[in-house]
Amino acid sequence: MKYVKGLKCRECGREYPVEPIYVCEFCFGPLEAIYDYGKIKRALTRKTIEKRPKTLWRYKELLPIDGEPQVGLSSGFTPLVKADILAKYLGVKELYIKDDTVNHPTLSFKDRVVAVALTKAKEFGFDTVACASTGNLAHAVSAHGAKSGFNRFIFIPASLEQSKITASIVYEPNLVAVDGNYDDVNRLCSEIANKYRWAFVNINIRPFYAEGSKTIGFEIVEQLGWDTPDSIVVPCASGSLLTKVWKALKEFKEIGILKEVETKIYGAQATGCSPISTAFKQGTDVIRPVKPNTVAKSLAIGNPADGFYALQAVRESGGAMEDVSDEEIIDAIKLLAKTEGIFAETAGGVTLATYIKLLKEGKIDKKDCTVLCITGNGLKTAEVLDGKTAEVYHIKPNLASFEEALSMIKQKGGK
Amino acid sequence: MSEVKKLRVRLTFPQELIKEPVLFRMAKKYDVMPNIRRARVTDTFGEMILELEGTETNLQQGINSLREQGVVVELIEGDIIE
Repeated sequence: MKYVKGLKCRECGREYPVEPIYVCEFCFGPLEAIYDYGKIKRALTRKTIEKRPKTLWRYKELLPIDGEPQVGLSSGFTPLVKADILAKYLGVKELYIKDDTVNHPTLSFKDRVVAVALTKAKEFGFDTVACASTGNLAHAVSAHGAKSGFNRFIFIPASLEQSKITASIVYEPNLVAVDGNYDDVNRLCSEIANKYRWAFVNINIRPFYAEGSKTIGFEIVEQLGWDTPDSIVVPCASGSLLTKVWKALKEFKEIGILKEVETKIYGAQATGCSPISTAFKQGTDVIRPVKPNTVAKSLAIGNPADGFYALQAVRESGGAMEDVSDEEIIDAIKLLAKTEGIFAETAGGVTLATYIKLLKEGKIDKKDCTVLCITGNGLKTAEVLDGKTAEVYHIKPNLASFEEALSMIKQKGGK
Repeated sequence: MSEVKKLRVRLTFPQELIKEPVLFRMAKKYDVMPNIRRARVTDTFGEMILELEGTETNLQQGINSLREQGVVVELIEGDIIE
């Protein structure tokens, strides 16, 4: 059964049928999927959801597909970890980690959006999927595309590090390294998306792709026992994830699953690429593009497509935005690992470091129940910790040497 | 003759250029046709969403000239590389 009514321009409100289009013909505003909430309200209840397999597809009526899910059938429904040790360390009452470091199969939240994008691409009849990415998105499109039988084109800047290339090329997509800077790659991909009849997941499939991010919001509510937290901290690259987490909460209220939504949404960026946070702090709604310079490469979008809408969501919810230095990001990655046993990529460091900063500024209350969205696995960006981790004790293969090291560990207060 | 292309872009004008006919001059000099869809101007900045039509060379030269004058020129899709 169909629950999607069509696409609607976020600027002028003009409506369009469900097609692989992404921009309003009249005002060039971005298009967004709209739903028949009355129909969804009759079909989707807490009980219906609870009976379904624990994947992102348990909320399928609120996702922009017409038939049954076809891709990413094991993706989503990642753990919501009660972070008691980290909470105690920070002196806060109640803290949770939404742990997408273990999303299936490529260990980031991109498994969610790509599952939805590729299911929609199947429905549209595409045989080829594509994306431009330096990391998580490339991994997800390469892997999900392989499993679901698509031809795959992945575009990367030619300067990309070998380790990141390996994590995509192992799935054997057509990996195309483009000579030129990021602007050149962006422009080329836009041209390709307009010329070839491919499903370019974050261009012509973007209105559908982006909706997959809502499942993080749905899951947080369900995993809190059908309740909302006081605050959610979300990392921002294009800003899309943040807008969709907010949309998810509002949709649950719209269809009667939640009575009230009083959650405040907080946006997290790296100072080296903080166009949205800067606009928030300056009190303007003008996003000024920047040239990224941060270790948080997965958030390094200098010209964020959904920046304006992310600002709107943060302001509407009563939240705030902050940004953090590379040093704070690295410290936060290590803190999350040593307290909660979760190894996050740099974006996770951004989220936790921003939370700590917002606590210090008094913008998030220590008594709040807070959820941190940790969106990707640390093994993907392990190189950022080179030379910045605790020391290794090297010993000779005899007991005396070990006991010497043990005494050194104890002297340092180790256990 | 070179193929004519269309490019959808967002222009952000700094305060000092708001009163200048920057777009008209570029369009005339490089034979690029602008088709404006949305715009807003405040005390401190100007923003315009439009389509530019011209040959590849003219488009590139026109965009370069805007950038040299301090106008930020970006694709309306935002950054595509994620």
